[in-house]
Amino acid sequence: MDNQPKRLNQRKWSIHLFPIPALAIYLLFIVYPIIAAFSYSLYDWQGIKRLSFVGVSNFKKLLTVEPFNTMFQNALEHNVIYFVVQMVVQNGFAFLLAYFIYQRIKGSGFLKVAYFLPRLLSVIVVGFLWKLILNPTYGTLNVLLDKLGLDALALTWLGDPNTALLSIILVNCWFGVGLSLLIFLAGLQSIPSEIIEAARLDGVKGFRMIATMILPLIMQPLIMITVLTFIQSFEAFELVYAMQGSMGGPYYSTDTLAVFFYRTAFGGSSDGSASIGIGSALAVVMFALIAVITAFFLALTRKVNRS
Amino acid sequence: MRPSMTYRTIQHLIGYAFAVLSLYPVFLMIASSFKTTIAIFTHPLALPEKISFVAYDKLLDQMPFGHYLWNSVLVSGASVALILISSAFAAYYISRTHYKWNSALLFIFLLGMMIPIKLGIVPLFLLMKNLGLSNTLWSLILIYTAIGIPLGIMIMAGFFKTLPKELEEAGRIDGCNDMQILSRIVIPLMRPAIGTVMIINFVTAWNDFFFPLIFIQDEVMKTIQVGMMSLFGEYESDWSTLFAGLTLASLPMVLMFVFASRQFMDGMTAGAVK
Amino acid sequence: MKRLFSSAVILLLMSAVLAACGGNNNKEVSGSSESPSSSSSSSPSSSNASTGEKVKLTMGSWRTDDKAVYEKIIKEFNKQYPNIEIEFAPTKSTEYNAVLSTALQTASGPDIIHLRPYAAGIALGEAGYIEPINDLKGLDVFSKDVLAASTGKDGKTYGVPMALNIVAIMYNKDLFAKYNLAEPKTWDELIQISKTLKENDVTPFAMGTKDSWILSLTQGAIGPSIYGGTEFAQGLVSGQKKFTDPAYVKSLQTMKDLQEFFPDKYTGIGSEDMRTLFVTGQAAMYVMGDFDLSVVKSMNPEMNVDVFPVPSQSAGGSPTVTTYVDGSYAVNTYSKHKEEAKKFLEFTTTKEFGNLFANEMKRVSPIPGVVASDPLVAKYAGFADSISTPYVMVTNFNGGNPTTKVTLENEMQAMYFGKKTPDEVAQAVQSITDTWFKP
Repeated sequence: MDNQPKRLNQRKWSIHLFPIPALAIYLLFIVYPIIAAFSYSLYDWQGIKRLSFVGVSNFKKLLTVEPFNTMFQNALEHNVIYFVVQMVVQNGFAFLLAYFIYQRIKGSGFLKVAYFLPRLLSVIVVGFLWKLILNPTYGTLNVLLDKLGLDALALTWLGDPNTALLSIILVNCWFGVGLSLLIFLAGLQSIPSEIIEAARLDGVKGFRMIATMILPLIMQPLIMITVLTFIQSFEAFELVYAMQGSMGGPYYSTDTLAVFFYRTAFGGSSDGSASIGIGSALAVVMFALIAVITAFFLALTRKVNRS
Repeated sequence: MRPSMTYRTIQHLIGYAFAVLSLYPVFLMIASSFKTTIAIFTHPLALPEKISFVAYDKLLDQMPFGHYLWNSVLVSGASVALILISSAFAAYYISRTHYKWNSALLFIFLLGMMIPIKLGIVPLFLLMKNLGLSNTLWSLILIYTAIGIPLGIMIMAGFFKTLPKELEEAGRIDGCNDMQILSRIVIPLMRPAIGTVMIINFVTAWNDFFFPLIFIQDEVMKTIQVGMMSLFGEYESDWSTLFAGLTLASLPMVLMFVFASRQFMDGMTAGAVK
Repeated sequence: MKRLFSSAVILLLMSAVLAACGGNNNKEVSGSSESPSSSSSSSPSSSNASTGEKVKLTMGSWRTDDKAVYEKIIKEFNKQYPNIEIEFAPTKSTEYNAVLSTALQTASGPDIIHLRPYAAGIALGEAGYIEPINDLKGLDVFSKDVLAASTGKDGKTYGVPMALNIVAIMYNKDLFAKYNLAEPKTWDELIQISKTLKENDVTPFAMGTKDSWILSLTQGAIGPSIYGGTEFAQGLVSGQKKFTDPAYVKSLQTMKDLQEFFPDKYTGIGSEDMRTLFVTGQAAMYVMGDFDLSVVKSMNPEMNVDVFPVPSQSAGGSPTVTTYVDGSYAVNTYSKHKEEAKKFLEFTTTKEFGNLFANEMKRVSPIPGVVASDPLVAKYAGFADSISTPYVMVTNFNGGNPTTKVTLENEMQAMYFGKKTPDEVAQAVQSITDTWFKP
């Protein structure tokens, strides 16, 4: 610490140019547009034409007036479900498979590649691909179930409010399992082998090994995955849009906040119901929600790092 | 103490079942693209009896696929290069100098990871227009660069912190300035972080369809994802062509992955667990 | 490969850094980081604008499948106006609104715009984004009803009507012949036909409820036969009738009862699947607009298709087809070449254009005196002249937020899932209508 000032003095003023390009691009193309968009929420709009300044009335409308409040609540619930199912199914399986690979399952190199491959498709491609696979009459899944004599299980996946949301989330899990797996695996492989060996000699094994020894040691990747999953599930848009369109159908059963935003800000596919004021208010609420919860997770990471 | 035989068997069963589940849809997409639409409807599970290139002929005939591909390469490549350069400088500044505003600066950048920038599409479009960039590939390159910077800085700043200070000290004693330390000593050591930033952002830029949809109007300026997606308006019931379009949109990335799968997988995660 | 991959990047990065790093010997790698992208911004497309007085216009549209036809139409147009070059640049229908409204808000966008019909398009006009064209040469050939699709409350007209959409029931003639069925004259006959088909394992209606717009379209076609066509529709518009009236509720109930004649798992079937069921002969009838005819024919050119109007449920009532205007050609206020764009609009009011449109597109032109060469299109058009009833959800109730039309669609989906009764659907539709609609 004591030789710090001397080092600083040696630096030329030009060091301050280092962060300028990144900062300029970032402020110009991310911060400015989002702040401008937020300001839209304080105005009244007629279609896409800005009228007068109305303060927080768009927020009031969004949160208290039918049908916006019901839609908001409905979409928010779906985002929460989205997050929970992804955490349990996608990240649960990701951990299990990562643990298998960590234990040197045969062909683990190939398996890693296989699990990860879907992550390289674009979300829009994934959406359209699975829309074709889940088609009730011509889709591969139902044909396969039919052939196996399981036609009772050949459901109307995307056409039934009871299964549509879950189908989409599971497709998302299919897409995302590889990345979570790799993060878990990197975490597992960074555990010093002596610790595991010592525990093993003490007779710790199986689930007790995972629960008491391994999980605490991979807290940081786990939080990382939780943050990534959280942000992604609360911004879920493309998959729903590709598979169900901008209405989040059937009967709003797959609506998410981002789809609701798209619909309010731009209108449906053929009607004139665009309402930029309310859409922007929704954007502000979404941002606040995501920022607060992510900040909480990040604070948690710091705590874990320190201990 | 070795795991039991039963456990081993179950482990392999689950592991390989999952591999099939991961690969089959992708395989189906490729296989179906070589079938005729009638064959897809009547025998959806069968392998193509004879390989039919009809769908591909139709696609390549009707759309400037070469343009799409080139645009995608250009946009993804250029934005990755810009992200690397600008984040490396900023990250070096944040983690290797000790000004009191450094942590605030890092925080401002990190905030960007939570901003759903699609919500700002209208002002962004207006900005691009005022800068004379709308309907150019620059609009895409700049927005992808801006989107990639926060993560780039986070990963690289994390990486810089792990580098031993002595290296730098040694360089300084030899009379190097900051620029020389960064370029001669630090960057060559940063390969893993560079790989991570590069791959994550390349995949993101390559697979995005939202920004080119809004920013680009000219057919010859479109990227692969948007170009292919317009198919879904044109060939709604022609599944063979749809599968071929999906395959073409994904193939370049999948091929690159097959050739460099380790780089990809290390890259996607190396920075994440630092 | 991997080495190549990563070392390329490092080289790139190094070179940029070195270039900035003053006094070192780095001549061979100066600033190469910028080169991969710098060639991109100089687009090849703008180069031909400089030749002579040629101007280049773009035309925005959601009709992605009409590209070839529009190119033909533009070629015809160029015979008269060789200096006005037009590029047809469509966007996928589902994204068109987002793309167009973003562009218009920032004072850009295509010069010639395909404007959505009724409320959605008029809203753009009233917001000042579309040039009023009341004094356009040739606009007077259209009837007031047709112009209503692009005319605001203040009487300003924003677009030249593009096409007339007519919804009726297409059927597979071969299947009808096979089971000795004839076109139904009454509602009971239609039900009888459906029963016969079902007994023979043919799905009577190629219908699915996954795409919500199908619901309001089908309701718009079938409904009038129950609530009594144009008269009731006028009542709705003037405020004397309500969606909660028993007649309208009954039409919803009828829609629900028809589900026994829908295909298996119809709630998961989208509009493309409906068409596939119909053209592959798995389903015999298809409630659809004339605009789908060309796609049906292209998918199965051998198919023997015919069409009949929706028979009335009341004894002695007239059958109906449901009509509305589909879009119009409009001029962007921000266009730099408004006069040239208007020249194209003038062209779209001519009979010459109408014939081209009707024959190439196989659709019904709203221009009087244009006769379609395709017999089936002509048959559709004939119905429209004699027994047409308006598609009120599009012509009058596509307003509100969410719109009445969208509410009807979603509530009907809920009805088919058994979550709402026809009564509840009607109430929901009426209550959203009350929030904005003034008779």
